[in-house]
Amino acid sequence: MEKLSKKKMKNILYLFISAFMLSACSKTLDIDSVRSVSEPNMWKTLEDTRAGIMGVYALTRAALSDNNCHWIYGDVRGGDFLSPKRQDLKAVIGNNLNASYPVIEAMSNWTRFYAVVNSANVFLENVAKVKANDRRYTESNMLVDMAQARFLRAYAYFYMVRIWGDVPFILSSGEGSFENKPRESQARIMAWVEQEMLKAATDLPFVYSNNDPQQPGNYYNEDPGRWGGALVTKNSAYGVLAHVAAWVGDYSRVAGYTRFVLDNYGKSGINYTGTADLTNPNGFFWNKNNRQMLGFNSDWGHIDGSVTGHLEELTLAEPVTNKVVPDIYIPKDTVLKIFNWPNDDRFSIDTLGQPRNERYFTNFNGKYPIFSKIKSIQGGSTDPNFRYFTSALVFTRLEDVLLLRAEALAVLGDRAGAISELINLQSRRLVPNITDVFIDTNRDVVDLIFEERHRELLGEGHRWYDLIRYNKIKQSNQAFMNLIASGGIYWPISRKLISRNTLLTQNAYWN
Amino acid sequence: MRYLWVCFALFAAPGPSRAADLKISENHVFMLRQDTTKKQQKDSLPADTGQKPKKVTLYGKLTAAFRKDPDELSKFPAISLQQTLKGNYAGLYVQEPSGEPGSIQNMFLRGTPLPLLNKRNVYEAQPLVILDGIPMVGEHPFAFDVQQYDFNRIGTATNLLTNIDINNIESIEVLKDAAATAIYGPRAVNGAILLTTKAPGPRRAITFNTFFGMAQRPGVTTINGKYENEFRQRFYDIYTTNGRYSDDEVYPVYLSDSLNTVYSGKSDWTDLYYRNALVYGLNLGLMGGTDRANFRLSLGNTKSSGVADDTGLDRYSVMFGINMRPVKWLLFSAMVNANRLNRDRNRSLRDRFAQINYFPDMTAPLSPNKDFYGSYIDAYKKGFDDNKTNTVQGYARLVASLGRLSLSSTFNLDYNESYRDIFYARTLLQGNSYASNYYGLNQRLMLDNKASYDLDLAGSHHFNFSAGQSVMWDLFKYSNAYAYKGVNDYIKINLLETDVNDPNYLNPLAFPKQLTYRFLDKTQDNLVSFYGKADYTFKEKYFASVLVRADGSSNAQPTHRWFYAPTLSVGWSIKNEFLKDNTLINDAIFRVSAGRIGRTNSYDNYSQGPQYTAFVGYTGNLTVPGYNAFGALTRSYSFGWVGYDIPWAYSDQLNVGADLTLLDNRLSLAADFYTKIEKNLLLGVPAYAEYGYTQAIKSGMSVKNTGIDLTLSAKVLSAAKFTWNSSLNLNHNKNVLRALPGGLDQLVIGNRLLRVGAATDQYWLLQNDGIFTADAEVPLVNGQPQKYNGIALKAGDPRWRDQNGDNQINDDDKVLLGNAMPTLVGGFENSFRYGNWSLSALLYFNLGRKIINEESAARFDFINREGNSDVASVKEITFWEKRGDYSRYPLYNPWSTVIPYRIDQDLFLENGDFLKLRSLTLGYELKSLFSRKDLMKRLFVYGSANNLFTITGYSGQDPELVGYNGYDTGYGMPIPRTYTLGVKLEL
Repeated sequence: MEKLSKKKMKNILYLFISAFMLSACSKTLDIDSVRSVSEPNMWKTLEDTRAGIMGVYALTRAALSDNNCHWIYGDVRGGDFLSPKRQDLKAVIGNNLNASYPVIEAMSNWTRFYAVVNSANVFLENVAKVKANDRRYTESNMLVDMAQARFLRAYAYFYMVRIWGDVPFILSSGEGSFENKPRESQARIMAWVEQEMLKAATDLPFVYSNNDPQQPGNYYNEDPGRWGGALVTKNSAYGVLAHVAAWVGDYSRVAGYTRFVLDNYGKSGINYTGTADLTNPNGFFWNKNNRQMLGFNSDWGHIDGSVTGHLEELTLAEPVTNKVVPDIYIPKDTVLKIFNWPNDDRFSIDTLGQPRNERYFTNFNGKYPIFSKIKSIQGGSTDPNFRYFTSALVFTRLEDVLLLRAEALAVLGDRAGAISELINLQSRRLVPNITDVFIDTNRDVVDLIFEERHRELLGEGHRWYDLIRYNKIKQSNQAFMNLIASGGIYWPISRKLISRNTLLTQNAYWN
Repeated sequence: MRYLWVCFALFAAPGPSRAADLKISENHVFMLRQDTTKKQQKDSLPADTGQKPKKVTLYGKLTAAFRKDPDELSKFPAISLQQTLKGNYAGLYVQEPSGEPGSIQNMFLRGTPLPLLNKRNVYEAQPLVILDGIPMVGEHPFAFDVQQYDFNRIGTATNLLTNIDINNIESIEVLKDAAATAIYGPRAVNGAILLTTKAPGPRRAITFNTFFGMAQRPGVTTINGKYENEFRQRFYDIYTTNGRYSDDEVYPVYLSDSLNTVYSGKSDWTDLYYRNALVYGLNLGLMGGTDRANFRLSLGNTKSSGVADDTGLDRYSVMFGINMRPVKWLLFSAMVNANRLNRDRNRSLRDRFAQINYFPDMTAPLSPNKDFYGSYIDAYKKGFDDNKTNTVQGYARLVASLGRLSLSSTFNLDYNESYRDIFYARTLLQGNSYASNYYGLNQRLMLDNKASYDLDLAGSHHFNFSAGQSVMWDLFKYSNAYAYKGVNDYIKINLLETDVNDPNYLNPLAFPKQLTYRFLDKTQDNLVSFYGKADYTFKEKYFASVLVRADGSSNAQPTHRWFYAPTLSVGWSIKNEFLKDNTLINDAIFRVSAGRIGRTNSYDNYSQGPQYTAFVGYTGNLTVPGYNAFGALTRSYSFGWVGYDIPWAYSDQLNVGADLTLLDNRLSLAADFYTKIEKNLLLGVPAYAEYGYTQAIKSGMSVKNTGIDLTLSAKVLSAAKFTWNSSLNLNHNKNVLRALPGGLDQLVIGNRLLRVGAATDQYWLLQNDGIFTADAEVPLVNGQPQKYNGIALKAGDPRWRDQNGDNQINDDDKVLLGNAMPTLVGGFENSFRYGNWSLSALLYFNLGRKIINEESAARFDFINREGNSDVASVKEITFWEKRGDYSRYPLYNPWSTVIPYRIDQDLFLENGDFLKLRSLTLGYELKSLFSRKDLMKRLFVYGSANNLFTITGYSGQDPELVGYNGYDTGYGMPIPRTYTLGVKLEL
C-alpha cells in the first residue's frame, strides 16, 4: 500500500465526516404537510373560522347535491316525473328503494349529512380558541358564526328526519371515542331542531355587511354583494322553522313563523320574484341573490358551476341542451292536469291548445316535454352545447313561505286568510294584462293551496314532502295513509351503515 | 448480505489494498462464474488488475447458475423493465393489464403485502427498483385524490420503468428476503430489483445492438348493430309482449333500424383500429479510457408501437458513466441515465371522458363502419394528446479504500418530470373544445454514506463491520390546469394574459375564465436512516450476519418517528462441512434469514393526526374549490379520520433456503421457503358514518404471505457441439389475512370482504344456481317469496344460493371464491446450442387464478348501461368486437331491479389459468465466418417470435389483460405477437 500524505488523508476524512453530519439534520423529518392542516395549526386566526364555517356550508351543499339527491328525494319520488332510461330513477319513481342501484345505495347513506353535523360540532367546539387567540375576531362575528353553524346543523337533522325518520342524534364531534349511537325518536329531534333554530335565529342577522345591528361592519371584510343569498339570515331561520313546524303538524306555529318572514323579508333584501325572472337562465336561480332565502349557490364567477348537482342535469335535454333523452320528464297530460288554470304565465295553453310560452316547459309537443323552469346554463346563457350549470340549490323562498302560511291558515280554519294569501301569490303568476285570479270557491282550499304549491315549487325538491303533509291533513288517501303508517315514506337505511353500527335498525317497511 | 455485493461493486477498479483482505475461496469464485464463461470476455472490470469481482454473496450464492443474462433477456423486444423480467424470476409476478406500450404495469414480489382495494394500494405494494445504487422514486398516488375515476393517474401515466435500456444492464438481481433487502431499508419493504449497469472500463469496446420487427395485427371477429339487435331481441321476446318492457321505454335508435348503414352495415372499423406495428431498438455503446480514468457512453432509441389505436412509446436514451482514480486509494465514479419518453396514448372514450370529467350524450355510440369511424378519428386528430416524460437518474460517488477501512459517500438523484398537453377539438365533444396542461415531477435526492472495516482473526475468522447512514428527500408535485370551450379550434393552448399591469393578468384569454380550472399538489416524504452491520465467516463453513437499523420518516407521526429493526442471517456450507470429497454433490448450502423491515406511510396526511382538508366535493364534482369563493377547511371526512399514535407498519420476514449443485454442476437447485408477515398495516376501515367520516384510518391489519420459490437449472445435454439447458422457475404463494384493525373478524370494503383467515385477493360473490323460469319456482317461506335485498324474486331472476337459509338473498349469502392473484406462477425455458446456432423458448404460466369477466357482464346488462351520460354507458369501438362466449349465461330478465347480470356473482367468475409461449429465439454467431478473428469480438444475429400462442380456458380476451383486482373490463389492448430480427455486434 502506497504512502498517503497525512494531510490529504485528513482532508478526505473530514469530507466524509461532514457528509455524515450534514445529512443527519432532524429538520428533515419535521415537515408540515402542505396538503392538510394539522390540529395545532388550526383554530388560530379568523381565517380559520372563515374556512371552518364555509366548510359547513360547502358540506351542506355537497350533501344535498350528491347524485342530485335533493331533487330525487323531493321531486322524483312520488312525483310526476317519469324516467325513460335511468333504471335507478324508475325504481325511485316506483318506490322500489331497495333496488340495488349505486345511486339508490348512495342516497340511502346518511354519512354526508353527518359530515355537516360533525363539521358544525367541530366548529362550535373550537371557535372559542380563535376568539382567544385573534383579536380581530370580534364577539359579534363569533356569535353570528356560531348561529350559522347551529342553523346548518339543525337543518341537516331536519333534512335527515324527513328522509329516514328516526336517526342517531349526536351533538358533539365525538373525537377520540366516536361512540356508535342508536336511532333517536324523530319527535325528540324535531323538538330540538325547533329550539335550536330559534336560538340560531336570535343571533343571525337579517343581512350581512350591511349595517345589521347584530353584524356590524363588513362580514369577513367582504361587501354585501358577496354574501347576499349565500349565507343564512334570520329570515332563512324562520323560513325553515315554518317547514319544521309544518312537518310536525303544528300549524299554529307555522302561522307564527311565516308571519315573521312576511313582516321582515324586506330587511334581508328579499322580495317576490316575477314569473319571467323565475324562469330566466340568468334569473332567480342563477348564481346567488337575496331572494334565495335559503340557497346554496354555484356561482359562475366563482368557477363554482358544475355538470352535476343541479336539477338541470336531470331535466334538460334537446332542444335546451344537446342531450337526446332527458333523465326525467313530465308527460304532457300530467302537465295539463297540474297547470289547470287558464291564465297561468308559468304554463298554460292558449285557445289553440298551444303553450303560451316556454317558461316551465320547452318542446311541450315533442316526445319529451322538457321541464325547463330552472335552466341556468353556464353564465346564464342558452348555449345548448355544454351542460354546465350554475343554478343555486334553493330550499325556500318567499313564495314558499307564503304558501306555507296559506296552508297553516287553511288548516287552522281561517279560510278567508288562506285564500287571500293564495291570491297574493297567484296574482303574481298571471299572464300580462290579466288581473283577476280565479278561485273555485267550491273546492277545498287545502286542495287549492297544494295544487298551487305543486305548480309554483315544481322542481324545487318539495313535492314529496308536500304530498305527505297533504295526506296527513286530508286523511283521505288510504294507500298513502298506509304508507305513512308503515314508515314507507322514509328511505331504507343503507345496509352498509347497519352492518357497521349494530345499534341501528332498518326502517321496518324496507326489511 | 447482498448489500456487500453493492458495496464492493462500487470498487469497480479495486485497489490492491483489498485484494488480500477478502478471502474468497477459489471454489466460490468458480461457482459464481460458472455460467458466465461466455461472458467473461465482456467482463468490463479492469483486466489489468487481474482481479475477480468480490462478491461475498452467501445468500443465493449459487444464483449465478440461475441468473438470467441481460444479454439473453434483451432479445425480447420489451419496452419496460416489467416486460423484460416477466416469467424469468421465481417469486416475481408481473401484471400487464394492457398491451398498450408504456402503460402502467405492476410487479409483486412474493405475493401482495396488502389488500389491493384501489390503485393507491397497488402503488404501495410495488418493489423498489435500484439502478446502480439509486433507489428509484416512482410516481406517487396522491393525484388520485382529485379524480372521480382511477382508470389512469392524471398526467402522462407513463410507466416510469420504461427508462431502462436493457442493453446497458450488466446484471439483474431480484432481492426477495430480508437478508438481501434489509440493507435498503423501508423503501425496499416489498422487495427490490437490483440493476447494475455495464461498468466503464479501460478496455476499449464498441457495442451495437439492434432489432427491428413487427407487432402483428390481431385477428378479431367484428359485429354490427344488426348482430347486437338480434342479441337483445332475444330478451325482448321472452320478457315483453309488445317489444317494450314499460310504456316509456326507449329502444336505442342505433339498433332499431336494420337498414342504417352507420350501424348495421359493414363492420370494418378494425382496419382503422388495429395495425401491424413497427418495433425497433438501437443501442450504441462506447467505452474506453485508462485504468485511472475510464468511461462508458451509450446512446439508444427504442420504439414500441402498439397494434391497436395508434399507440406507442418512443424512448431516446443516453447513459454515461465514468470512473476516476486521482490517487490509487480513491475512486470517484459517476453515472447518468437520461431518457426521454414520448407516449402516444389510446383514444378510448372512457379515458377521455374521465380526463375531461364530462360525459357527453351517449345515445349514439361510435360506428362500426370505417367510413364513419374514420371521421371520428379525423376529429380526434385535429387536437393532440402529447405525453412526454424526461427522466434522469444519476449518482456521484467517492470511495476511499484505506487499507482495511473503506469509506464511501454517494449522492443519488432520481428526477422525472412529465408533461401532458391535451387539446380536443370542438368536433369531438359536441361543440366544446378542451385543453389541459399537466406538469408533474417526482424527485428523490439521496445522500448515502457507508464505512466498512475488514478484520481477519487467526486466519479462519473473517469479519466485516460496516455502518451507514443515508437521507432521502422525496418530493412529488404536479400542477394541472384544464379548460373548456375555447374560442375556436385554432388556439389550442390555454393562453394567459401576460401583461402585469392588465387587471386580467394571468387570466385565460382563449378559454373562458369561469371554465378554467387549476390544481396544484405537492407532498414530501423524507427518510433518515442509520444502520450497522457485522458479517462473520468461519472457514468457509459458517456464515452469519447481523444488521440493525434505525429509520426516521417524515410521514410517521411525531410520537413514532423512528423505527428500529434487526435482521439476522446465517448460512452453513454443508459441502464444506461434510461433503468435501463427495464428487456427486458439488455444492450444498443451507441458509436462514429472519428480519424486520419498516414500512413507511405513503401519505403525509397520516403523520398529521387529526387534520383539516379542503375536500368538500361530491360525486361527479370532487374538486369543489370551497364555498362562495372562499377556501373551506373541514375534517378529512372523505380521506378518513386519522387518529394519533399510529405506529410504523413493518414486515417480518423469514426465509429458509437451500442451494444444491449436483452431478458435475449439471443440475442446480435453489429452493426458498418464505413467510412474510406484514404488521400494523394501515387500513381505511369504513366507520364513524354518524360522525361524517367515510372511514377511519386504523393501524393493525396484518397480512401473511407464505410460499416457495424454486429454481431448477439443468444441463440436460452438454456435448462439445450440442448443448441443451433447461431451467424452470416457480413460485407458489399463499396469502392470508391475519388480523384486521381493532380485532375485527371481517370487514366489507366496497365490493370486497376481508376476512381474517382468508386470502385478501378473494372475490366476494353470490353463487348462481341458474334461473327462475316461473314465479312459482321462487321458494316461499311463511307465504313470503324469496327476496334479494328486500325485493321479491320473480321469473327471469337468477337463483342465488341462499347460504344461510333465511330465504333472503343479501350480502350474508355472498361467499369468498377464487383468487385474483395466481397461486402458482412460473417460467420454463429451454435453450439449445448447436455449433454457432442457438435456439431458446420461454414458456410462461399462471395457475390458480380466477377472473371476473366484467366485459361480458356489461354486454348482458345492457338495460342499465344504455344511453345515459355516465361511465357505465360508454361504448368503445371495441364494443363491435365479439369477445367472450355468450352461451355461458342464462337469459335473465335484464330489466329486473335485482340486476340479474350483476358482477358480484360467480356467473362471471372464470378460470384464468394460462400457458404462453412468451418467446422463441433462434440465433447464429457469425463471427466464425470471418477469417480475421480479431476484427470483432462478436457478431450475433437472431430472430425472435414472441407471444406466439396462449393456452387457456378463459372465454374473454387474453387472460393477462386483467386489472390488478382481477376484473377484465375489456379495456386491455392485445399483447401482440411480435416478430423481430436483431444483431448484436461488439468490436
